[in-house]
Amino acid sequence: MILNKFLQYFVICLTLFSCQKKPSGEYGLDPSDTLRIAFGAEPPTLDWNKSSDTTSSSVIDNLMDGLVVFEYLDNKINLGAGLATNWEGSQKNTVWKFQIRKNVQWEDGQPFEPSQVIDGWQRLLDPKTASPYAYFLFGIQGAEDYNSGKIKDFSKVGVKLKGHELQVKLNNSMYFPYALTHTSTYPVRKDLIAKYGEDKWMQAGNFVGLGAYSLKRWDHDKVIILKANPKYYGTAPKTPNILGYIITDVNTQLNMFNAGQIDVLDSVPSVQLRELKKRSDFVEYGILSSYYFGFNTQIEPTNNPLVRRAIAHAIDRTKVTRMMAGGQKPMSGWIPEGILAHDPEAGLKFDPVKAKDLLKQAGYDESNPLPPIQLSFNTNQDHKRIIENVQSQIKKNLGVEIQVQNNEWKVYLGNLKAKPTQIYRMGWVADYPDPHNFYELMTSKSENNYTGWKSPKFDKAVVQAVSAPTDEQRLKYYKEASKLLLEEGVSVIPMFSGVAHKLIHPSVISYPMNPMSQRRLKNVSLQR
Amino acid sequence: MKIEKYIPLLLLGLIVWAIGLDLFGYIIPSVLFYAIGLTFVCGLGVFIYKNSLLKYTMKRIGEAFFVIFLIMTATFLLLRTIPGGPFDEEKALPPEIKANIEKKYNLDQPLLTQYALYIGQVVRGDMGESFKYVGRSVTDIIKEALPPSLLLGFYALILAFLMGIPLGLFAAARHNTWIDNLCMGFAVSGIALPNFLVATLLVLFFSLKLQVLPAALWVTPWHYILPVIALGIRPAAFIARLTRSSVLDVIQSDYIRTAKAKGLSARKVLWKHVLKNSLLPVLTFSGPLAAGIMSGSFVIEFIFAIPGLGPHLISSVSNRDYPLILGLTLLYSIMLIFANLIVDLLYTFFDPRIKLS
Repeated sequence: MILNKFLQYFVICLTLFSCQKKPSGEYGLDPSDTLRIAFGAEPPTLDWNKSSDTTSSSVIDNLMDGLVVFEYLDNKINLGAGLATNWEGSQKNTVWKFQIRKNVQWEDGQPFEPSQVIDGWQRLLDPKTASPYAYFLFGIQGAEDYNSGKIKDFSKVGVKLKGHELQVKLNNSMYFPYALTHTSTYPVRKDLIAKYGEDKWMQAGNFVGLGAYSLKRWDHDKVIILKANPKYYGTAPKTPNILGYIITDVNTQLNMFNAGQIDVLDSVPSVQLRELKKRSDFVEYGILSSYYFGFNTQIEPTNNPLVRRAIAHAIDRTKVTRMMAGGQKPMSGWIPEGILAHDPEAGLKFDPVKAKDLLKQAGYDESNPLPPIQLSFNTNQDHKRIIENVQSQIKKNLGVEIQVQNNEWKVYLGNLKAKPTQIYRMGWVADYPDPHNFYELMTSKSENNYTGWKSPKFDKAVVQAVSAPTDEQRLKYYKEASKLLLEEGVSVIPMFSGVAHKLIHPSVISYPMNPMSQRRLKNVSLQR
Repeated sequence: MKIEKYIPLLLLGLIVWAIGLDLFGYIIPSVLFYAIGLTFVCGLGVFIYKNSLLKYTMKRIGEAFFVIFLIMTATFLLLRTIPGGPFDEEKALPPEIKANIEKKYNLDQPLLTQYALYIGQVVRGDMGESFKYVGRSVTDIIKEALPPSLLLGFYALILAFLMGIPLGLFAAARHNTWIDNLCMGFAVSGIALPNFLVATLLVLFFSLKLQVLPAALWVTPWHYILPVIALGIRPAAFIARLTRSSVLDVIQSDYIRTAKAKGLSARKVLWKHVLKNSLLPVLTFSGPLAAGIMSGSFVIEFIFAIPGLGPHLISSVSNRDYPLILGLTLLYSIMLIFANLIVDLLYTFFDPRIKLS
């Protein structure tokens, strides 16, 4: 009896004193100066050395700056000064020098030191960090060996600091500043990581950045709140607060947008595209991504280049994009519109007569028809529509039976690595706006080349293109690479480039819309 | 007052307290969750002891541990047989980087070693670290996601009982009239309509058309209304049908005729004699129902963006997040097994004729 009474009082007291008021739906923020958006997923981590996904980087990009940042002007992508004010490459682009910005403060008032850039790179490359994006720095001398544990001493890696000048030595020529726009290469504070621990330093309350915003709140799976950072070295953000709900389902996001709970919808449900396109708050613009089919060049009958060419000529890309009605641009070349080396004339065009002819040359006709060909894709409504369209086109134009098979995403990736079907579908979103990022995919060494097609000539052209001093010379090498990949090798069929679709409330001004899908929100203003 | 009468009151008090806090806009402190759990276990313990069910319970718990161990082993092995690993991504990683990651999570060890390491961890009460959410332990993820799921399930269950039992009783009392048909019409459509459709219709009408309730999120009681209705309507319909048929059964039994014959009012007969005796099937159903609501709420959680366990259940599988999948599977199996055990034990309370041994 007494024990029970005691227990009761104990619990009641505990409850009373640990009561905490729940936040309101708007988390106490004034809607007139708060931009409300939705994140499509919980960011796996805000530790930029360890993150590898777009949600995390869209948050980190507002909390931090890199040495170099993208600037988008008149549909052109330029490199702008971030934490580096100036940079220049050696004649062959094998050595790069960066002048690190002075008088920058972290949000806790500590000065930003150039050595923190190197700390970040060392941590990124450290095998113990196990960072998925460590390869962003593999161009640096010794970096790959340090990451695989062959070198233990970081001073052997090709980075050197002289006052505020950072010098980077590369293995081969490359346009290195692009790598520094990526979140994984941002500077870190070793003292904070030591203070709060590897796993806790990026939680709200512990987090210290130097970007336009600071992390005010991060309730896992619920919400992320950003507040303007008064110590930011650049121009102050125009909207003081960002309220980002974490909403996985796009249909739910659309409902919330329609109900006025959020101001921007960053992606729309594709089945409702036709309807949504009629709205005045709908916007669409091209992004640097491509959708393509790959051939397994190691198995019958797609090991025959003539068969591959026949199939490539049998597909009318405009039919596919028209069916999708999403504004996608058909693309026969390997490089999407908006970057160097984009060539609308490149690659194999739709030509059913030629296609039939090529198939005959390969030794297949009515008496000896081509056996059914397997085409695989990862389970997804949109892919299904595209693949069924392609399937019927090949049947009609070439008389070839295509058997489609779909698998869940990870199963699909596992199969691609083990034994791809004769044709498979894939896509690529640019890491940086340079043709190298696309051409590198299909080199012999690339982990993303599932085709089994290897061409030393192609590999050489891709390397030569990077070290070429002028754009004209680069273009010459890329033209050669494009010919080898798409016309001689025909290991891939490019289909179309990607499009972003958004709904933006009229009160939101200059919301970021750029081909790299970056979401830096400091220039957004609100008119309410 | 005797202790076994005191504990249910305390439990009820604590639950009402927690619900009160939640509905009036306060965060339920985790100590209250623990207190409710502890009181419940204590009450159950006393109940088991007083009814000399100790041996039976121990046997069932022993069995449960064995089953849970089997589930854990099977899940562990099945996960390794499905193609595609946790670190296969659209942008394939260079082999040395993948090796570093696999080393970090012990995935480079032989399967048996991995299994032994995992069992060792679980025995120490550590469910491991999520592969996807860097640096977050599975225990933390479950701790954060369990309360919204529990609350959603609890409210839906309350709604189901509050709606289902009166509806069934009402229909049975007005047997074969238009009222009966109306109630059962509702019940049949409640069962037939899938909850994602109900949810979509509710959002369409109340959030987008009338604009009176929020379309998603789980913050204030206003946010609760639509998901709770969407989740609770199906079990309510089940309970209504179950109650109706059970009441109809009981109404025809001899002791009801006796009760009527001795001149009790129809209302008194119905509420006092018929209802209590016809609730046994409903009770039988409520164990699996509670477990079903908890594990079946993922669609609703997904649609209304409720930060519960459901979305993790789906995404952990598609991410091949082995530790999180294992943790959630364990949690759900424990919930299901113990919900059934508790219902079995409670039978003896509602129907003294049942003897467990």
